[in-house]
Amino acid sequence: MLSDLADKNDYTYLDAVGAGLDAEMDRDPDVFLIGEDVGQFGGAFKVTKGFLDKYGPKRVVDTPIAETGVTGLAAGAALVGLKPVVEFQFADFISCAFDPIINVLSRHHWRTGDAMPVTMRAPFGARLSAGPTHSQSVESYFAHVPGIKIVMPGLPEDVAPLLIASIRDKNPVLFLENKYLYRRLHGQGKVDLEPAELGKAKVVREGTDVTLVTYSAGVHQGLEVAEELAKDGISVEVIDLRTVVPLDIDTVVESVKKTSRAVILHEAIVHLGMGAEISSQIQEKAFWYLDQPVKRVGALNIPVPSSPPLEQAMIPQPEEIAAALKEVARA
Amino acid sequence: MATSTPAKRTAAKKNTDNTSTVETIASPDPELASKLTPEVLAAIDVKDTYANPPAELSDRDPELLKKLYHGVIRGRAFEDRMHSMYRSGDLLGSYYSGNWHEAIGAGIMAAMRDDDWFAPLHRDVTAHLMRGMPPEQIMASFMGKAIGPTGGRDGTLHYGRLDLRTYNPPSHIPANFPVATGFAFASKYRGEDTVTVAICGDGSTSRADFHEAVNLAAAQDLPIVFVVQNNQWAYSTPLPLQTHSATFAIKAVAYGIHGIKVDGTDAVAVYDAMAEAIERARSGGGATIVEAVTMRMHGHAEHDPADYVPREMLEEWSKKDPVELLEKRLIDAKVITEDEAKQTREDARKWAIEARKIAIAAPMPDPSNIEDGIYAE
Repeated sequence: MLSDLADKNDYTYLDAVGAGLDAEMDRDPDVFLIGEDVGQFGGAFKVTKGFLDKYGPKRVVDTPIAETGVTGLAAGAALVGLKPVVEFQFADFISCAFDPIINVLSRHHWRTGDAMPVTMRAPFGARLSAGPTHSQSVESYFAHVPGIKIVMPGLPEDVAPLLIASIRDKNPVLFLENKYLYRRLHGQGKVDLEPAELGKAKVVREGTDVTLVTYSAGVHQGLEVAEELAKDGISVEVIDLRTVVPLDIDTVVESVKKTSRAVILHEAIVHLGMGAEISSQIQEKAFWYLDQPVKRVGALNIPVPSSPPLEQAMIPQPEEIAAALKEVARA
Repeated sequence: MATSTPAKRTAAKKNTDNTSTVETIASPDPELASKLTPEVLAAIDVKDTYANPPAELSDRDPELLKKLYHGVIRGRAFEDRMHSMYRSGDLLGSYYSGNWHEAIGAGIMAAMRDDDWFAPLHRDVTAHLMRGMPPEQIMASFMGKAIGPTGGRDGTLHYGRLDLRTYNPPSHIPANFPVATGFAFASKYRGEDTVTVAICGDGSTSRADFHEAVNLAAAQDLPIVFVVQNNQWAYSTPLPLQTHSATFAIKAVAYGIHGIKVDGTDAVAVYDAMAEAIERARSGGGATIVEAVTMRMHGHAEHDPADYVPREMLEEWSKKDPVELLEKRLIDAKVITEDEAKQTREDARKWAIEARKIAIAAPMPDPSNIEDGIYAE
């Protein structure tokens, strides 16, 4: 273990990212980190602090500001059998690498049969007053493109297992870390370093009245709201999708068949967000089980504002989530 | 830009002692191109072999010369066949001719080892064929046939095979450049002495991929050679509308790597430039931009009559047929006889006809499994 985590029984979401990376680099010499400021600076959020000392500049590679170049480099290295982990400093900058992700990485295996094991880590999300080009949720841009897996852990205990699974996966994986959670969410005990299975959702709270389908920051938020609603006698089942692509719709449908009601929550814009696809699939697969229309809760269809009151007004708040769940559960 | 004095260029030395040794060019100098004499270019590590091609063949390895010759002959035979297949309606779409580019492909491939990595683009048929790509597979790629390297999932110029250590690029040029840096990165990572060669055209040099890849390769000291096939035209856009750089090789100076400008219609000259650049990369001496100058004698693709190209330009360049030039020199140097040349051409013609027969007879792909393989298992 790289950091001082070994002696602790409490870790943050951010610690878990570092622990997962460290474990996989330790285990597999083909894994290397590459990105802007990941080496001597330890990354913009200090996820890779200490990695350069432990693994050296060959495996912890500081690059020029070149998202297209670095992502393409990762693709080439992956085709030759290495396992690059690219860090995008902010998910917003991933647009600079849109071309290689879409046209090189995502479809290479389908075109040729060659594996493309590239992991792309990117801190995303709002609530830090970082404004329209530093706070975006980018999953929907990529969810429309076949061939990319999109992993979005919500709970600290899932971070390392999902990251390790992403690195071991033979496909391009976009690993989206909600940067608001980095130092706010804590896990207890030691970091679990057993890989999870990608494409498997998890029922993180069992309930009977309404299903809340969510991921990333929505999980923590949803669990808190569910706890409050329990006091009013509303039993919410919370599903953490964990990976939005592949989408584990079976777990969602199974839950909806039980509760007959569903709300989908994400921090991303509602319009053409993941909720649109999930909602459609629920009505295609479980329409006759539904007692209410499926409801979506997410961000307004505007860029992420910078100033706190504006930003709060854009993204889903606990009151809004509670109101949606109550409406669907009681109607 | 710190100074406003007239343009003043010095060698871009590596700044290893933290003292500033680099003077900047203050403003565009309209006479800069004329100041780039061979002496100046040599002093700043850009070699211009275009003006001084290797003339004497008598002391050259005849096996190498024959390899180049067979390469360009087969390349030309394949190009000719593809042109006629386009006209016959054999192909699904257009064909991106590598006519007049054969010497570049042959020179590159004769200088590469089989275990080196290759990231070509769309006019590099000659190189592909020399690397071992079966001609019928390339034809099949342009026909959507099942025997193509992607089984019809991709088509036209997208036919590289990783088992031949050749990247299969997408349409976005030069997306192969960043990928090529990854091949080179892996060689260095594993301590292998393999070198990567990537090819693009003059048009590609305007894109961010080019800059990011070349800069990244320089900053990472990667064992790589970037070949720029300067064929004068990016689709319909002539060089003056693409760049005000005097040459493409000169761009190497700014990146702190090596540059060579070479006559792309001279297979031997291309080989020499590539051999030097590859050897340098292999021995840890860093990256090189090799600019190989030729002319795109056809349209961007066969559907394009290229009426925008001045006829005089085509006439001028028609005197520099890379295949005829090499053949004549080899006959003059008595490396091959006229009879051998005739036989080689005829063999290549039959070989291309045979490949077409195989491609024509090949089945179309079965659509039943098109959803398979989105992910590697």
